[in-house]
Amino acid sequence: MKYFAFIIQTSVNDLYRNKMRTFLTSLGILIGVASVVLLLSFGLGLKAYIKGQFDSLGTNLVFVIPGQIFGSSGGFQGMRSAVQFDEQDLISLRKLRDAIFIIPVFSKSIKVEANAKTDYSTLFSTTEEIFPARNLEIEYGRLFDKTEVNKRTKVIVIGPKVVEKLFDNPILALNKSLRIEGQSFKIIGVLKAKGGGGFGGPDFDKFVYMPLKTGYALNPDKKIAQFLVKAPDTKQFEIFKTEVKTQMLKRYKDDEVTVADSAEFISTIGQIFGVLNAVLVAIGAVSLVVGGIGIMNIMYVSVTERIREIGIRRALGATEKDILYQFLSESILLSLLGGIMGLGISFGVVAIVQPYFPAYVDLMSSIIALGTSSFIGIFFGVFPARKAAALSPIDAIRYE
Amino acid sequence: MKEIIRVDAVWKEYMMGDVLFQALKNVNSTISEGEFTSIIGPSGSGKSTLMHIIGLLDKPTRGKIYIQGKDISTIPDDKLSMLRNEFVGFVFQQFNLINKLSILENILLPTIYTRKKLDYDPDKKARYLMERFGIGGKENSYPNKISGGQQQRVAIARALIMEPKLILADEPTGNLDSKSGIEILKLLKELNKDEGITIVIVTHDRSVADQTKRTIEIQDGEVLKK
Repeated sequence: MKYFAFIIQTSVNDLYRNKMRTFLTSLGILIGVASVVLLLSFGLGLKAYIKGQFDSLGTNLVFVIPGQIFGSSGGFQGMRSAVQFDEQDLISLRKLRDAIFIIPVFSKSIKVEANAKTDYSTLFSTTEEIFPARNLEIEYGRLFDKTEVNKRTKVIVIGPKVVEKLFDNPILALNKSLRIEGQSFKIIGVLKAKGGGGFGGPDFDKFVYMPLKTGYALNPDKKIAQFLVKAPDTKQFEIFKTEVKTQMLKRYKDDEVTVADSAEFISTIGQIFGVLNAVLVAIGAVSLVVGGIGIMNIMYVSVTERIREIGIRRALGATEKDILYQFLSESILLSLLGGIMGLGISFGVVAIVQPYFPAYVDLMSSIIALGTSSFIGIFFGVFPARKAAALSPIDAIRYE
Repeated sequence: MKEIIRVDAVWKEYMMGDVLFQALKNVNSTISEGEFTSIIGPSGSGKSTLMHIIGLLDKPTRGKIYIQGKDISTIPDDKLSMLRNEFVGFVFQQFNLINKLSILENILLPTIYTRKKLDYDPDKKARYLMERFGIGGKENSYPNKISGGQQQRVAIARALIMEPKLILADEPTGNLDSKSGIEILKLLKELNKDEGITIVIVTHDRSVADQTKRTIEIQDGEVLKK
C-alpha cells in the first residue's frame, strides 16, 4: 500500500512540477471526453424529452395516421400518404364503444392577425377532449366545450406565446377577435405555458385551438390529419389496437394507414438517435485518440529527460516493473486528469444549457468517460513506460 | 575472513563502432567481509567498469560473479535489483541524488523499493544518519540547496539506509574540495572500522588509495596487483 501511495505521490509531484505541460497534455483528453460526454448527454436529453412529450399525452394512446409511417428497415418513412381521413373515419372509429376518447386533429400553419400585428402559428382544430388529453390548462378565460364543438361556434383558445406577440396583456385578449386567413374568431381562453419548442420540436405555447368543424372554414376539404384514441384500462392494449386497425381497414388498405402507439414512435426515434449518437461519439473519440497520442509524446519526452533519474532509481534497487509502474501511473493520472476536467466541464455546460435544452449527464457516461481516459492513459503510456523500464541501469546512470 | 565478492575470469567487451574494446580482460579478484579496499587506476583503465560489475549494475561479457559464494551471473533482473537494494550501497562521484526529492526522501528512496521487511523504522534511521553525518535539520531541504560535501553525506546516508554489507564508492571525493574530501574519507573509514561494513573505493588518486588497507591496481583492463 505504501509502495503504491509512493508511486502515485511521485507521479502527482512530477505532474505538479510541470503544471503547464500537464495541463496542455491533458487538454486533448479533456476536449475528447467533454465532446463525447456532451454529445451523449444531449442525445440522451433529447430522447428523454421526446419520450416525455409522448408520456405527457398519457398512456394507452393509439395514434391513427394516414400512410405508412415506419420504414420496413427501421426509421421513419418520408412518403406522403395518398389517403386522407375525414369525418367518415371519425364516425367509424366511434363505433369502438369502449374507447375512452377519440380525438380527431387537423393542423396547419397559419398567419394570425390582431391589433394590426401579425404572427405565425399552428392551428389545431379538434374536439374539447384534446385539453385533458394533452394536460392543457386554462390561464385566463375558459376552454371551448362540446356544444361549441358541435355548433361550429367561431371560438378559439390560444397559447400564451400567441397572446404575447399580438396583445399587450393576456386579459385584454379575451373576447377580442383574432383574424386567421381573413376570418375572425373570438378568443375565449388563453392557455397556461407548457414549454417545448426551441430545437425543432413543436412549440405548444404557439398553438391556436379551435373546434373541429369550426376549423372547416380553414380546411375546405374537411380533412382530418390524425386520430388520437385512448384505450380502456379494462382491455388488453394490443387487442384494442388491433380493433382500431380492423376498424380502419374496413375503408383502407393495410399500407394506407398506420395504427401505432407511443412506444413504437419512441423506439423508432431511439433507433435514429442511436445511429446519430454513434456517429457523433465516433467523431468525439477521434479527439480522444489524438489526446492519447499527445500523452504518449510527452511521456517519451519525460522518459528522455529523466534517464539519469531512472538509472539512479535502478541502482538503488528499483526493478523494471517499479519503473514501468512509475511512468504508467503518470500517464494514467495525466489522462484521468483530462477525463475528470472534461467531465467537470460537461457538467458545467449541461447545467448552463439545461434551462433551454433537456440535456443531462448520466452515471453511465461518467463511468465511460473516466474508464476510457484511464484506458487511454494505459494504452498510450505503456510504450514510453516500457522504454523507461528497459533502460540498462548502467547506461541510464551514465547518461548526460 | 569470509569472502563477500569474487570475480572469476571476468571479461567485459564493447563494440565501439567497428572496433572491439576490451574494458576488462580476465579479471580475478576477491573481496572479503570487513575489508577497506581501493581499486586504483588511470582514466579508462576499467576500474569503474569493474565497480559496476561488482555492484551488479552491469554484467560481464564472460566470467562469473559470486556474492557470498553464490554465482549471480544467471539470476534474473528483478533478483539483481533486489540484491542491489539490500546488499550494496552506492556512493557516486556525481552524488546522483534526485534533485526534485527532499534530502529525507532521497535517503529513504531505497526503502521504497525494498521487498525485505525492515526490522527498524526507516524514517528514524534516516534522521539518525543525518544527525550523525552533520546534516541534521536539512530533511526538507533539496540537493541543489546544499554544498557538495553535504550532498555526498546525503549519498552516504542513502547508501547506508538499507544496512548493506558492501559500500561501493566511485571517486567519492572527486567532486569535492580537499577539506570535504578528507571528511568524507574519514567518514567511510569510521563506517568500516566501527561497523565492519566492507568498503570499496574506486579512485585514480593515489593519496585516496593510500588511506585504504588494500589496493587493487588496474591498468588497461587488467589487474596488476591484488
